[in-house]
Amino acid sequence: MNRLAKQDGIVRCMPWRKYTVIYRSVLLENLQYAANIAVGFFSYAVFIYTFIMLWGYMYQTPGELIAGYTKEQMIWYVMMTEMIWFGSSAASVAREVSTDIRGGNIAYLMNKPYHYTLYVLAKYTGGWSIRLPMYAMLAVVIGTALVGPLPRFPLAAVPAMALCVVLGLTINAVLKMCISLFSFWIEDATPFQWLYDKLLLIVGTMFPVEIFPETLQPLFKLTPIYTVCYGPAKLIVDFSPEKCVEILAVQAVYLLAGCGLMFLIYGRGVKKLYVNGG
Amino acid sequence: MLTAVKNQMRVCFLSIKYNMMREMVNKVTFLTNVGFMVLNNASFLVQWLILFRLRGDVGGYTFREIMLLWGLVAAAFGLSHILFARVFSLSDLIIGGKLDAYLVQPKNVLASVLTSATDVSAIGDLLYGMVLGLICSRGAGGFLLYLLFTVTGAVVFTTFALLLGSLSFWFVRMDLLQSQLVMGIVSFGTYPDGIFKGVSRFLLYVIIPVGMAVWHPVHVMTDFDAGMLLTVLGYVCALTAASVIVFYRGLRRYASGNLMEARL
Repeated sequence: MNRLAKQDGIVRCMPWRKYTVIYRSVLLENLQYAANIAVGFFSYAVFIYTFIMLWGYMYQTPGELIAGYTKEQMIWYVMMTEMIWFGSSAASVAREVSTDIRGGNIAYLMNKPYHYTLYVLAKYTGGWSIRLPMYAMLAVVIGTALVGPLPRFPLAAVPAMALCVVLGLTINAVLKMCISLFSFWIEDATPFQWLYDKLLLIVGTMFPVEIFPETLQPLFKLTPIYTVCYGPAKLIVDFSPEKCVEILAVQAVYLLAGCGLMFLIYGRGVKKLYVNGG
Repeated sequence: MLTAVKNQMRVCFLSIKYNMMREMVNKVTFLTNVGFMVLNNASFLVQWLILFRLRGDVGGYTFREIMLLWGLVAAAFGLSHILFARVFSLSDLIIGGKLDAYLVQPKNVLASVLTSATDVSAIGDLLYGMVLGLICSRGAGGFLLYLLFTVTGAVVFTTFALLLGSLSFWFVRMDLLQSQLVMGIVSFGTYPDGIFKGVSRFLLYVIIPVGMAVWHPVHVMTDFDAGMLLTVLGYVCALTAASVIVFYRGLRRYASGNLMEARL
């Protein structure tokens, strides 16, 4: 009895503890299946190889600059954005939320002693904590072997870059969850996910923002592209402390606004579920 | 013999028809899926507009040829996923012992499996491919060639997936390899072959059949060559025969999962 009361007290004092437990259990589960994650390396390698060939064709002379990027920087930029894309696998968040809502499983999960959206985020974080470092290692190996190391790469700035990548991954998951939560109203939110993904893929992942016409660039910097893929990748290929502070500030604003929106949509959706009788 | 083939064709046609009807029960979802898939594909136009702003050609291809390439991949992928969507999850059926439901039917097993599912969003792919084909083909003859290559491309997608999926009769985890190699056709096929050199180019003709599904057909459409056309047709026939043989060889090794399942 005393032990239970003590545990209850700990949970009340540290509400994040339950999410840490969820995170840890998913992390351990993923460790068991690390070999399965490695099978996905093939798709990543296909994309990277194609882009190495493509940019190899587009850059005609050594030292040429396109949108202010050298060939090596451009390829490393794509490798980093694709690493974030493949390593985070944010599609799993969208899939899980949509399936729970459409299949009715949400009715059981929302009554548990945790917030459903934070539960999904904790699981997602546990998933990429294994996957992303594996893809990062692969990217470094492929990049160093086929393109060469990044010139003037500041090793001391790696923690700041890592923080930027982590915030970017989390913002992406929050925004994807917001879209999936619309399944409370429409049967299938997947088509909206396609458009969001393509926006990120074409504008921020395949190309840096600077390659687009100057009139569009300020507009793109207001979209999630800046915080999710362009910002972190830009810092890795061309680090500057001022840029880092700017990107971190924008990411903080995006994360707060995104979480607010996520809680709002979830709250409204759950109310609708109650009205419909679950 | 002819009557049996006719009956089998009729069963396949009815199976596809009922799959489509089932998917169309919720009309809003159906239309959203199709419409957004068209938009999804069209968004890649931005990528090519950007690349052609940087250089006049990409891998020796003009913008029109790239659109032909894209259209052909989308149309072939779409047609294959509309008619034979189940082949792309064949490994799951084999590993999970779920083929029993097809084995007890008094019709051809392979045809029943292939036509037992439809991917509704693939209609958007096919539509997008057809629109690009109409815009980018040279005249009525060019469009007829485009239609022919859409069919051969769809056969390559289906039979390549069948061949890899059938390997699940012998090896585990072929599902991952199947999906990654099949998607490799899309990943490589939407870029011109001129950017690939040496061994990689050779592998894309031999290991992953991108060359025969997409690149050769586009070359024939831009600069007609009867020899190249016959090569594509011959390759399609050979791949089809090989995949069917491998499936039936593997089926002899199939062990039921004792799963109770009914197909209505």
